Amino acid sequence: MDASLIFAQSLSGLSRGMMLFLIASGLSLIFGVMNILNFAHATFWLIGAYCCYTFWFLMQDYNFALWISIPLAALTLAALGWVIEVVLIRRVYNRDLPEQLLLTYAMVLVLGDLIKIVWGVDDKLIARPPLVADPVFIFGMPFDSYFLFVISVGLAVAIGLWWFLKKTRYGHIIRAAVFSREMVSALGIPIPRIYTGVFALGIFIAGLAGAVQAPVGSITLGMDMAVVIQAFCVVVIGGFGSLLGTFVAAIIVGEVYAFSILFWPQGALVLIFVVTAFILIIRPWGLFGTPTRA
Amino acid sequence: MIRYGWLGLIFIATLILPLVIGEYWIHVAVEILIMGLFAVSFNMIFGYMGQLSFGHAAYFGAGAYATGLLMVKTSVPLPICLAISMITAGVLALVIGYFCVRLTGIYFAILTMAFGQMLYYIIFQWYSFTGGDDGLQGIVPPDWIIQVTAYYYFTLFIVTGALIVMWVISESPFGYTMRAIRDNADRTRFIGINVRKYMLINFVVAGMFAGLAGGLLGPFNRSIAPDLCNWHQSGVPVFMTVIGGPLGFLGPVIGSVIYTFLFAFVTGFTEYWPLTIGLVIIFVVLYMPGGVLGLVKTKFKTIGAEESMDAEA
Amino acid sequence: MAILKVKRLNKAFGGLQATNDVNYEMQTGELSGIIGPNGAGKSTFFNLLTGYYKVDSGRISFQGKDITNWSPHRISRLGIARAFQVSNIYPALTAYENIRQAILAQQKRTLNFFTPAHRLAKKETQELLEVTGLSQHADKIAGTLSQGDKKCLELAIALGSKPELLFLDEPTAGMSGEETHETMNLVKRLNQEMDLTILFTEHDMSVVFGYAKRLTVLHQGSIIAEGTPEEVRKNETAQKVYLGEEA
Repeated sequence: MDASLIFAQSLSGLSRGMMLFLIASGLSLIFGVMNILNFAHATFWLIGAYCCYTFWFLMQDYNFALWISIPLAALTLAALGWVIEVVLIRRVYNRDLPEQLLLTYAMVLVLGDLIKIVWGVDDKLIARPPLVADPVFIFGMPFDSYFLFVISVGLAVAIGLWWFLKKTRYGHIIRAAVFSREMVSALGIPIPRIYTGVFALGIFIAGLAGAVQAPVGSITLGMDMAVVIQAFCVVVIGGFGSLLGTFVAAIIVGEVYAFSILFWPQGALVLIFVVTAFILIIRPWGLFGTPTRA
Repeated sequence: MIRYGWLGLIFIATLILPLVIGEYWIHVAVEILIMGLFAVSFNMIFGYMGQLSFGHAAYFGAGAYATGLLMVKTSVPLPICLAISMITAGVLALVIGYFCVRLTGIYFAILTMAFGQMLYYIIFQWYSFTGGDDGLQGIVPPDWIIQVTAYYYFTLFIVTGALIVMWVISESPFGYTMRAIRDNADRTRFIGINVRKYMLINFVVAGMFAGLAGGLLGPFNRSIAPDLCNWHQSGVPVFMTVIGGPLGFLGPVIGSVIYTFLFAFVTGFTEYWPLTIGLVIIFVVLYMPGGVLGLVKTKFKTIGAEESMDAEA
Repeated sequence: MAILKVKRLNKAFGGLQATNDVNYEMQTGELSGIIGPNGAGKSTFFNLLTGYYKVDSGRISFQGKDITNWSPHRISRLGIARAFQVSNIYPALTAYENIRQAILAQQKRTLNFFTPAHRLAKKETQELLEVTGLSQHADKIAGTLSQGDKKCLELAIALGSKPELLFLDEPTAGMSGEETHETMNLVKRLNQEMDLTILFTEHDMSVVFGYAKRLTVLHQGSIIAEGTPEEVRKNETAQKVYLGEEA
């Protein structure tokens, strides 16, 4: 066990953490504002990856293919999120929790099969563009340069979201809506539009995350299942609705995963569940959440 | 009284069923019974106590593995294996439930799911004991019920007995206390009831019957796999209960009939079962919130759900 | 014999001192009232006594036993019952089932798994239905009852626990003049015939007159006056606070 191994694993964990943050932040935002736990969040993430693949495929002769495909895919998902909120999600705001959970769970099944129908069952592979084909050397050790890209996207989204929520008027309105729907609507701001916007934003981030994930390894069916539970764990540990919490928890989970690969490869997920259960038992609102939520 | 008439007819129908349907459908019928039991046990927590457990498959799977392991590695007779399955599931529910009943709502749902996944991964990893993701093969029922029709009657007998016991419990003071907890947990504390303790007891009883259902599954399928514990399996009784209707005792059984039939039917000609059931659930949630029973109740007041109509004059 | 003793009770929420160094005592068999304007801290006081809130400091004892910070169900089992200000009934159950639930809990039969509930506690449930005037609504779903009937049901549930000490939080809120008198007459009868020690809160002075033997005036968490209704009416501080607020 030497320093370079620890460093390598930490970076790997950080990258994984950033990926989890990207997925979980949308989930946390949607739950924090609208009180809807979107089981299908990772499935949207996967659709983002597949969309990125398709866009890339159409432009693959060009070096910039990937860099354009990523934002295109994210925007496509935002549109998809918009449509789904208006058509489906909106109808269960006034319903009880079980019905909301069932609806989003059913979406997982429907969307999962739709992916199969549209893209088939084969794995999809995106070729690395030249910009990130070669490894980058840090302290003399080679690192996948794409990892650095992932980490930067994660940071950019984190900072962007923070700035949006804390510094812009729209962000303030959203945060106000969390505390009092009635007040915000009394001020003449339509709550339904806020919810649609928030949901679309959440799905946009999920799509972005999926598109960014796409070139890492291959895109396969069922990836969403592996990831959704981890995303839930991140949101629980960090605290629903807390951006900082999601960020910190994502890094923690990413690092736990990276390091348990060294000691107990099969136990990584069990360990994450144990931590999640532990948090739920002693502090259900998470590390950074507030007790009054849910 | 009309209600009991209907039930009597249905029971007689189930008795003569194997005589009129082919062997494939007898298999389906056994599955309906087993999953129906699983779903009714789930509804003890959902419909009667008002909490959504997304990890009920943990007890189903635990029961399946208890019976499976005993039958493969020892020569303990099946009925005793089933009893041990119930006890194993009950103990597991006691340990997990102890933590879960301190929470409600979304936190309860997620914690039950987390524990369910934990058990899934533990069984998955513990290759030496459970066979890991190869699962457990070669679980053969004893000779006297190795034939599917015989297994059908065996399962019918046990499931009917279990349902009767659960029915009696739901109509007892304990059962009504569960309803009270669902309706207004706060008030229930103020009439002297330790709500947490009662929720735990209910959770354990529900787990035990899920374990019984799991125990019946192993010898039927001749093999079991860790998948029986994961959150997808946990979703199945939820679907069945929602389709059939959570507010009536037999709702989940109706749901099991519909779900299992639909599954057998749809998977016969397409692989897109998830799409199908997903759309059905979305439809039921949006347009039929009380499930089939809810729909029926508004049309015929006799078929039973809330017993208040039969209250003593 | 003092059935209830409260010593130096304090409770604050954030910066707001909802209960401020309150001392209170009740003798067995009393029928007393606590009055005060809205926000005086009456419900908080009940919440502290019934274990719904934890106290910041102070002691509560019932029949000599210290019950400070006990959980609600343990306090209830000792023989203290409570009717809530906002009807806290079982909306999905029938009125009959509502009352029966409290009775079964009191009879310690709720861990009975095998006897059909509809065979038990029939007589006791019918009695309480009659006493509170709900007999004709027995099979109605409680959520569909009128506000006044819900309050009666609330009282019936509290009585189902066979308490020795009964807290009534604004028992006549939302009732018409006639209903108010009916309810308060019932409360008086319960106190006299069933030997029930009763403490109720009210913010309408005219209601308590003629019913309570002793009144305590609460204002911003502190007791500012205490005595017979006559004495309190003449008390200057009470007048200033109360009538000043109401004017």
